[in-house]
Amino acid sequence: MNKWWWLILIVLCWMAAGFVIFDFPQSQKHSDTTMPSHVSRIVSMAPNLTEILFALGLDDEIAGVTLCSDYPPAATEKTKVGTFWQPNIEAVIAAKPDLVITLGFDLQQNLAERLNRIGYNTLTVNIEKVSQLFEAIGIIAAATDRQDRADELTRGIRKKLNRLAAVVANSEKVRVLWVVQEEPLRVAGRDTFINEMIELAGGENAIGPTIHKYPPIGAEQVIACSPHVIIEPAMEQQDIDGQQHTAMQYWSKFNSLPAVKNRHIYVIDADRVSRLGPRLYEGVETIARCLRPQLFAN
Amino acid sequence: MKELLTPKKLVMRIATAGLVLVAVMFVCSLIGTQSISLKAVLDAVGAPATVSPDYEIFVKVRLPRIFLAAIVGAALACSGVVFQALLRNPLADPYILGISSGAGLGAIIAVMTGFNWTMWGRSPIAVFAFAGALGTVWLVWFIGRLTGKFRVTGLLLAGVVVNAFFSAVIMFLTSIAESQHLYATIFWLMGNMTEEDSLVLWTGAGCVAAGIMALFYISPQLNALSFGEEDARSMGVNTARTRTIAFAVAAFITAITVSLSGLIGFVGLIVPHGVRLVFGPDHRQLIPLSAIIGSVFLVAADTLARIIVAPAQLPVGVITAIIGGPFFLVLLVKYSRRVTWLK
Repeated sequence: MNKWWWLILIVLCWMAAGFVIFDFPQSQKHSDTTMPSHVSRIVSMAPNLTEILFALGLDDEIAGVTLCSDYPPAATEKTKVGTFWQPNIEAVIAAKPDLVITLGFDLQQNLAERLNRIGYNTLTVNIEKVSQLFEAIGIIAAATDRQDRADELTRGIRKKLNRLAAVVANSEKVRVLWVVQEEPLRVAGRDTFINEMIELAGGENAIGPTIHKYPPIGAEQVIACSPHVIIEPAMEQQDIDGQQHTAMQYWSKFNSLPAVKNRHIYVIDADRVSRLGPRLYEGVETIARCLRPQLFAN
Repeated sequence: MKELLTPKKLVMRIATAGLVLVAVMFVCSLIGTQSISLKAVLDAVGAPATVSPDYEIFVKVRLPRIFLAAIVGAALACSGVVFQALLRNPLADPYILGISSGAGLGAIIAVMTGFNWTMWGRSPIAVFAFAGALGTVWLVWFIGRLTGKFRVTGLLLAGVVVNAFFSAVIMFLTSIAESQHLYATIFWLMGNMTEEDSLVLWTGAGCVAAGIMALFYISPQLNALSFGEEDARSMGVNTARTRTIAFAVAAFITAITVSLSGLIGFVGLIVPHGVRLVFGPDHRQLIPLSAIIGSVFLVAADTLARIIVAPAQLPVGVITAIIGGPFFLVLLVKYSRRVTWLK
């Protein structure tokens, strides 16, 4: 028997030993973890989840949040467990959580599976549409025994949205171009929660159905969709006026657009409109103010 | 400055490097964003009923990740040695013949088809990336053979063009089917060190160790090949067989690392050159030493990636390039007068 056969034989033995020593890995299922009856240490893996937890009055139960969780201000004082995109599993475990809440993104789900494997309870919610936000609030409330607060919270948001809907119901819809990025130009398409927020605020997306969620568009399409209002969420929270000025300059080359002619270009606080959370109404109202400033004049 | 490589010297060097590796792994296992006490870890070993975060972080998160880095580092460094020797090109690295784009294409196809199962603890992305990597290398090898029997230039050009072609296909697919799944996939491919299942680490270590052993077997023939095809044949080496084995084994262990942790650049390029510069070009010593030093390098780089922007983490590829680049340049300037490239 030459050295090559020995090598193959040893590898086969090694593999066999592995399957004997370690159990054959089971595929991870969320169902096999049982929820504790009472949770007292919760880790939130996304800023909007943090906002939901605070809105449900779980201030003291929150044991860790992501770096970008900055609202409400009390969130900044909580232990940090990495960012949304780069979670730090060691920091999550060190926070001794009895429940880790993640979003349904692949990356976050992967973290949830890894935590499950080690033996931690996780809860994954999808928040990509407005209806899912209300569902998620219900799911989180059920897991943390805060149903009353959740009902109150969702009822409050719905009431304010309905009141706004009644105000804008009779006027014509305003065509909005929602700019995510200027170079190259990317805008929010129809299949996004931004689109839902625009419609709740009494507007309509100037861009029709597209393949992409956030389609890159050319100058031709910008002119063809002729928006009445252009909204850009601010890239940075400081110096919104400066960014407003830059945006005005950028759009001045499209001076045939109604939005540019009437100077209806707005740079707004991005946190309110990019996180689908309990501040949904505040975001929608911010948009509504851009669409019909005269309604909010008094 | 030519010194002969004796078996005794080789064993001594491997043993020293091995000790360094063990020491580095031990030190790195104590470093992290969360400070843990070894005593708390040892206390928890006997008492499994109580849950100790120190124990869980050390045993279930940090150690598996360090072992993964060691396995991947060893495989990439060895594979780099072999590709540099086979292609007789100092710029060669484990991904040069299309493995990176093939793995990417495989991963994206896995996401687009929406499979959702696990095979031996591996996700479909990992399995498809593995298959894509091996498939692409085979394709490049096949095209290279059509251009003439083992013409290095043909093989290299085929690799570059297949790489570019598959990259373009990836760009096309991502732009027609935009979804957060695809972004997550690209993120995964950019280097993804996580704690892995024990069985995955065990089998991965077995495959990589066997691959390195196989490459060590043929290292005398690789020495002959680095003088050129004709010289090697005149020395009585079966060049076709040597090339095929070396090529297949190197591609195989690289594909395994891709399925374990995505693409991690730079290790496979600079570790072989670094070892060659310091210890000389003999493959009998280059292969085992590169494996061990590749492990040391990646374990250290990954530890930095874990802690440098705490509490977040960096992709390890950033660290391998930032630390490895200048370090390699120092070696290059200091030692390059002593050696001639690849001879």
